[in-house]
Amino acid sequence: MIRVNVLLLVAVVLSALYLVHTQYESRRLFVELEKAALQMRKLEMESESALAEKRAQATPMRVDKLAKEKLQMQPATPAITQYVAYRDTAAAPVPVKP
Amino acid sequence: MSRSVRYSSSPLLASKTPVWRSKFIVAAIAMGFAVLAARAAHVQIFGNAFFQRQGEVRFVRTLELPASRGRIMDRNGLILASNIPAASIWAIPEDVTATPAQLKELAQLLEIPLAELSSKLGNEDKSFVWLKRQVEEPVAKRITELGLKGIHQDSGFKRQYPDGEATAHVIGFTNIENTGLDGMELTFEKHLLGRAGSRRVIKDGKGRVVEDIRDKVPPVDGKDLQLSLDSKVQFFAYQKLRETVTAQKAKGGSVVVLDAVTGEVLALANYPSYMPDKRKNLTGEQLRNRAVTDTFEPGSTMKPITVAMALESGRVTPQTLIDTGPGRYAIGGFNITDKHNYGTLTVEGVIQKSSNVGALKIAQKMSPHEMWDTFTALGYGQKPQIQFRGAVTGRVRPWKTWRPVDQATMSYGYGLSASLFQMAHSYTTFAHDGRIIPLTMLKSTEPAVGVKVFSPENAQAVRRMLQMAAAPGGTGQLAQTVGYSVGGKSGTAHKQVGKGYASDKYRAWFAGMAPIDTPRIIVAVMIDEPSNGQYFGGVVAAPVFSEVVQQTLRLMNVQPDVTVKPQIVANPVEESL
Repeated sequence: MIRVNVLLLVAVVLSALYLVHTQYESRRLFVELEKAALQMRKLEMESESALAEKRAQATPMRVDKLAKEKLQMQPATPAITQYVAYRDTAAAPVPVKP
Repeated sequence: MSRSVRYSSSPLLASKTPVWRSKFIVAAIAMGFAVLAARAAHVQIFGNAFFQRQGEVRFVRTLELPASRGRIMDRNGLILASNIPAASIWAIPEDVTATPAQLKELAQLLEIPLAELSSKLGNEDKSFVWLKRQVEEPVAKRITELGLKGIHQDSGFKRQYPDGEATAHVIGFTNIENTGLDGMELTFEKHLLGRAGSRRVIKDGKGRVVEDIRDKVPPVDGKDLQLSLDSKVQFFAYQKLRETVTAQKAKGGSVVVLDAVTGEVLALANYPSYMPDKRKNLTGEQLRNRAVTDTFEPGSTMKPITVAMALESGRVTPQTLIDTGPGRYAIGGFNITDKHNYGTLTVEGVIQKSSNVGALKIAQKMSPHEMWDTFTALGYGQKPQIQFRGAVTGRVRPWKTWRPVDQATMSYGYGLSASLFQMAHSYTTFAHDGRIIPLTMLKSTEPAVGVKVFSPENAQAVRRMLQMAAAPGGTGQLAQTVGYSVGGKSGTAHKQVGKGYASDKYRAWFAGMAPIDTPRIIVAVMIDEPSNGQYFGGVVAAPVFSEVVQQTLRLMNVQPDVTVKPQIVANPVEESL
């Protein structure tokens, strides 16, 4: 009888220690998860602001200004545009004579 | 040598212990357990709720999970408004210990005068004071690096508008709490606004979250909004408008560009404008979305409508002759005049030369009721069905109160008022083969379904007249573009000041469409008080129309319908051997 009791006692103690360990582990993992979630949010925010920054650098206003001032470009007009008629891709290619 | 004690022979042990003693000890211990059990029962069963609450007060926190506001994009998916992280800086004045040099640096980073910062921090009665809200991320980081005691930060977001002043009136802006206050930010507040989520957590002694105690309610982010606006067209329209307003020394101006097929608003620009994220010292002049809030007498741009009405009623044809001689007409004690005596003109000629007398004579063939019905069908005197708060109705008086002179002046656009937006809207009728189409600020790919006002033939006839009016010999020839056929009508009116008209203050505008056979866009331009010598719509507003039309159609990949003399000059290349 005593032996069974001792066995049970040992089992209870082990189980209790294991519970403590599991609880500890769960909290540790939880904190890690939290950190990762925070990191995700931060990266999301960074990506969002990087996108905004990219857009801010490429506004029509800025592009227009830079094209005019730095590259001496001017708005295209139909007068300086060569319009090419759309040709059906299914049409047979024109044979090239050697 | 030591002397040992023989305990077994101790006389104390030899005495017999009374039984009651051991019984008493056992009873005492049992009593102790009973007390513990009672206490445990009290804590865990009877007082459970109370202790649970006390525990929660100490360790459980509800965290709000903020939802982000939806972005606003143009028709091609370019961002017009988005969120960027921004911190709000606050302080507990009595905790702040900083050297004067540190304070100076902080003031510089926050862009507030040192005196203001000192007075904020000097008030030690307060336990909380905002130093500056919505500080951009890099600045916030540098403030953290200063490591000042008593200065804290809350993270958050602020709205950013990459296109700035060009789209300010359409997009609007939000306040510091990210609530829409103007423009699309206000109109679509519910759509853009998300719903914050929440979670219940246990925090440990160091304030770290260690456990969720309930399923969290995830935040619902605001939905993105895609507008019909084309950011490039918008920019171009704004740029041309700004150049013209400045060159003409005008008070302001507006441009509206509509898609004639789908009814989408491609651009809506006003000048003067403002930067939506720097809103200090703004005036109403800058804030007003003139295109939808300012009404004026549309003047000559009404003449095509008068003519279309008469054509529709079958009382005239484009070739019917109208005698406009001698260039003036007396009615109800007023003298209505033309700039020149044009003699006898066809109905087409009345539009081309913009004859007031001709227009009133055509209007006299109709009843006030008929005219009022058509004006109303075209949206005059009606609240525009558009997603702008504060879009004005304009004014068309009930037809029963019209005197003959009122009817006559209305035929050429005086005695009623409308916004530039309403005017552009009414012109969709001519572009859309006689059907007025609903307009929208949201992207749509379906052709709009309109309500018939005129027959397709009459709409085409008016388009031809508009083409003539914008051609050499007409009033708006500066509206011509390279490559695209255009049609449109200029207008110039004295501004109303008090009860009468100011003799030296004008408003000039131009409304038209292109390409004229199958219109793709409608453009309306208004310049307020041009005062650099020129003030006629055909001179001041038509060039803006021309450039905006040309650029917009090119951006829309519309092939030119007019043969263009190419100006492609190849640089001569020296032939090599």
